[in-house]
Amino acid sequence: MDSLFILAPILVPFIGGVSLLLLKFREDRTREIYSEIIVILTSVCVWLALAYGSRDPVHVYSFTDGFSINFRVDGPAMLFAGMISILWPFAMLYAFEYMKDAEHKRSFFGFYVMTYSVTIGVALAADLVTMYVFFEMLTLVTLPLVSHYQNHESAFAGRMYVAYCIGGASLGFVAVVMGTLNGGGVFEYGGSLGNVFAPSLMRIMFLFGFFGFGTKAAVFPLFHWLPQASVAPTPVTALLHAVAVVNSGVYAVIRLAWYAYGPDLMRGSTEQVICTYAAVFTLVFGAVMALRERHFKRRLAYSTVSNLSYMLFGILLMTPEGLLGGLTHMLFHSIIKMVLFLCAGAFMHVTGRAYIYEINGIGRKMPVTFTLYTLSALSLTGIPLFCGFISKWKLLTAGISSGQTVGIVGMAGLIVSAFLCAMYTLNVSIRAFFPMRGSDRSGSGGMKEAGVLMLIPICVFSVVNILFGVYSAPVISFLERIAQGVI
Amino acid sequence: MFIGYLVFAPILIAPVLYRIGRKNEEARDRLAILFAFVELAVSLSLLTMQGAKLTIPYILAYGLTFEADGFRTAYSIVTSIMWAGTSLFAREYFRHEREGLSRYWMFIMLTLGATQGVMLSADFMTTFVFFEILSLTSFTWVIHEETREAIRAAYTYLFIAVIGGLVLFMGLLLLRDTCGTLAFREIFEAAEKARAENTSAGSEILAAGICILFGFGAKAGMFPVHVWLPKAHPVAPSPASALLSGILTKVGIFGILMTAVKVLFESRTFGTVVFVLGLITMFLGALLALFSVNLKRTLACSSMSQIGFILVGIGSAVFINAAGGEEAGEGLALAMSGTVLHMVNHSLLKLVLFMAAGVVVMNLHTLTLDDIRGWGRNKTALKIAFALGGLGISGIPLLNGYISKTMLHEGIVEAILCAREFMPGEQGMIAFLRIAEWIFLISGGFTFAYMLKLFICIFIERNRDDKRQEAYEKESTCMDIWSTAAVCGSSVFMVLLGQPAVMKKLAFFMTGREEIMEFHAFTLTNLKGGLISLAIGGAVYLLIVRKVLLRDGSYVNLWPEKLDLEDLLYRPLLTSWLPGIFGAIAGVFGENLILRPVCRGVLYAATVFGRALSTSMDALIVLLRKTVVRETKVRTLQSEERRSRAAAFRDQTEAALNPIISGFSFALVMTCIGILLILGVLILYI
Repeated sequence: MDSLFILAPILVPFIGGVSLLLLKFREDRTREIYSEIIVILTSVCVWLALAYGSRDPVHVYSFTDGFSINFRVDGPAMLFAGMISILWPFAMLYAFEYMKDAEHKRSFFGFYVMTYSVTIGVALAADLVTMYVFFEMLTLVTLPLVSHYQNHESAFAGRMYVAYCIGGASLGFVAVVMGTLNGGGVFEYGGSLGNVFAPSLMRIMFLFGFFGFGTKAAVFPLFHWLPQASVAPTPVTALLHAVAVVNSGVYAVIRLAWYAYGPDLMRGSTEQVICTYAAVFTLVFGAVMALRERHFKRRLAYSTVSNLSYMLFGILLMTPEGLLGGLTHMLFHSIIKMVLFLCAGAFMHVTGRAYIYEINGIGRKMPVTFTLYTLSALSLTGIPLFCGFISKWKLLTAGISSGQTVGIVGMAGLIVSAFLCAMYTLNVSIRAFFPMRGSDRSGSGGMKEAGVLMLIPICVFSVVNILFGVYSAPVISFLERIAQGVI
Repeated sequence: MFIGYLVFAPILIAPVLYRIGRKNEEARDRLAILFAFVELAVSLSLLTMQGAKLTIPYILAYGLTFEADGFRTAYSIVTSIMWAGTSLFAREYFRHEREGLSRYWMFIMLTLGATQGVMLSADFMTTFVFFEILSLTSFTWVIHEETREAIRAAYTYLFIAVIGGLVLFMGLLLLRDTCGTLAFREIFEAAEKARAENTSAGSEILAAGICILFGFGAKAGMFPVHVWLPKAHPVAPSPASALLSGILTKVGIFGILMTAVKVLFESRTFGTVVFVLGLITMFLGALLALFSVNLKRTLACSSMSQIGFILVGIGSAVFINAAGGEEAGEGLALAMSGTVLHMVNHSLLKLVLFMAAGVVVMNLHTLTLDDIRGWGRNKTALKIAFALGGLGISGIPLLNGYISKTMLHEGIVEAILCAREFMPGEQGMIAFLRIAEWIFLISGGFTFAYMLKLFICIFIERNRDDKRQEAYEKESTCMDIWSTAAVCGSSVFMVLLGQPAVMKKLAFFMTGREEIMEFHAFTLTNLKGGLISLAIGGAVYLLIVRKVLLRDGSYVNLWPEKLDLEDLLYRPLLTSWLPGIFGAIAGVFGENLILRPVCRGVLYAATVFGRALSTSMDALIVLLRKTVVRETKVRTLQSEERRSRAAAFRDQTEAALNPIISGFSFALVMTCIGILLILGVLILYI
């Protein structure tokens, strides 16, 4: 019974995705309804699993001795799976509208739904090996989505994506194997390594693991695939490359640092410092690159690079406050970045343009989209009243109270990065709403607001953005309990 | 209750105004003006309920707290006066403009609420929240005209506001980490306690204070984050410039004052930092104003300079308190009163002056001094209002600026006395303060000089173009009854606040220090300071403005265009230096210079290794054949052939490598590297 609860959210979308690939639909509408039903059903399954699923590892299948698939529900799993399960149905709605005239819908929706299954697999994994298996699968199952348009550009992006992610995961594999050998297989808060035979060796293993799994979280120097991958259709960039896939990279680092190797092993070591500086560097670097980028979606992708490192920075401080900051930012950044990408997608879909200098004056034609974009941009910068402020606050507090030099340096980095963030996101809003007098506004005559299916997710997440910004006490106390290891 | 109304009612009514404005513009304007006056009435009613408090818990994690004590009530009223005056004036000012006005009114109201929120806040977190809101809402004022200059200035404004807000936020977090609270009432004791318990707390609080100073200073227009101010004020519509200059800079000052008084009142370092930055701001602003040939830019630079005066006041107050403590009560009272009175004065002065500039703009649509020269010769009401404002700000006795400037001056003198009495060893400090006193007097003189320049140019001289002058003389009405009421009504304050009795009561009400009632404005020493300043101003006007800045009868700006902190430092830093540095680092450590070479190197090494292995096998065979097996003849490669084979080999390897590196095998190679590294490490450790 336990295993049924916990397996349902993985099996339902998997089977659903395969069936979407196999079945032929005469009407697009039927396929849409069918896939939306699967996704909603999956989300219900996820919530049931989170509520009633087993808190102890459930053994599902053994490949060989010591290599088996186990699932469980615990704090981070609740956060990650819960977050995904709310975002996915809305992103799906958006995808219907966005992909209305696209080709190869069958493969798109099939793999899109299958990705849900794999992401939940990563979230619910109870040990390193299981997580690793799903982590690899995640790369493979999203590859067709990245190269969906099947042109030269997307083929290149796809190759790059696979090269980086598989390569990174194989680095991580080393850490997985060493962790498992030392008894750190099953996740437990605070680390589950037994008597470690050579702690310094394990720290180096952590370094591998961090950069390996960090590849998906686009940590420097392995970030290059993420901006490239923005050639994918916007529902993919918004949900997968701002939330699901990249956050599973962060999630894997949380699991590795806090649930397998343990913060006690790492705290104060050179390796921790190296990792943290890599994150701090990335968070400034990503913002600088975003500022230089002219392509709307690639700019947001660089912003994701930067923001993922906020989370990594918090996690790597190896204090509960830091973990809290990382988790908070993981949640809130997902909401914010979803809106930003969805707005960018709406803009691109409606106008057929992709570059920022082409935005001049569009805000008056698409007021809802760009107003909500601006609110999210402010939130990402860390302006009070929006949820990004809360997470930035938690991260900065963690930086101060960690008492480490790198914490203070990170704080400075965060401030610079947030400043740059204001520059690169608000630049778009200013262009949209305040076109220079006498500037060329031709060609935007017949443009109007995006369709309602696109606006629904944007509006919903914007409301959530403000709601959490103003009143976030319950969420924060939930995250606090996770960060303290209570759940 | 009333506090809640002051803060939240404008925020709630803003979208309503926007909706109404879409349908009926007249109704929107009337409603907005009515609302501004209701706001004024409500804030006046705060006078009857001193110490009123309002707490909204649970919101934004800490909750919001508000309180109305003397200083805050006074500033809430000033805010309302400013809004009432500019709203009244804006009606006519925007008469010929249709686009984007609903937006303007909406953001005016939002900013009103946020400003009241800052002025009435009872803890730093509340201050910060509303501070950020008003930073962003006032951005739309700067960009309102949507011209190239406006957009550029708006970017500068926005980015300085954002970086200021973030640094401020960091400072507040540091402060909270050390003291455990951010409430104005508790933080002083908390900081004392933290200092007593922990030796490093003092420097942490100071660091936090500097961050906060930077953050609020960015809004106040303090050097070196003043760059937005001379650019943003001229491009904004005049009613908005009056607010930007009169109130929004004071929001920054409010924060700095609270930090100085409530957190770092005992810190001489902080006092000195504020004092020095204030001096630079004061002098630089006055200098820029003197050179400027644009009416509103002169006023904007003047704002910057006056902010410098206020900062000098704060600096000397902190300095006196830190050096002298209780014994220097009188000097402290002087410096504090000078600060708060100059804040009020400057707000009201800039209200009049910017509205007068607005009258010029709405009639002539230009601000260049040469063009508007002689326009005001026959406009009596405007002339009087502008004269009152100009003379008030220059510190002419019997007008408002005189008293506050005299108090500020006396504050510096007291600081010198304090330095003599309490730290006799530090000659450098005393000498510095003496120089500072002179800089203060010279800046005051500059103020007189540039106001004289403006006044004489607009209201006394004749235009060089006679036809134009004729046209100017023909029109004698320049504003309607409402605008006249706004401009002249607000210039009454110059005279009203010029009375020492009124000022002393106001100072006592705002600071709560009784010593100030002993102050006499018109003693010989006090008059001397003012007169020295005015004499310097007159001399500067005659010698510099008339002789140097007036070439062939037209005003020229001799300030080098390139000498601009923003263009020299800030913009290149962001647009080329930072990306350059990061790009270089990324280039060195990133993909092209590390990842790819490493992969390539491994592949080469593997190929060379394999080749070496096979060659050595060949050699072995050759050796065997020559020795053991004894076959008669072995054909070895000729050197020519060998070379060409080597070249072919190299080409082949290259050709084979390229697709590998950019393809799937790249990943596998990464795996190999990982495993090789593991092997290496394992061998080393075990």
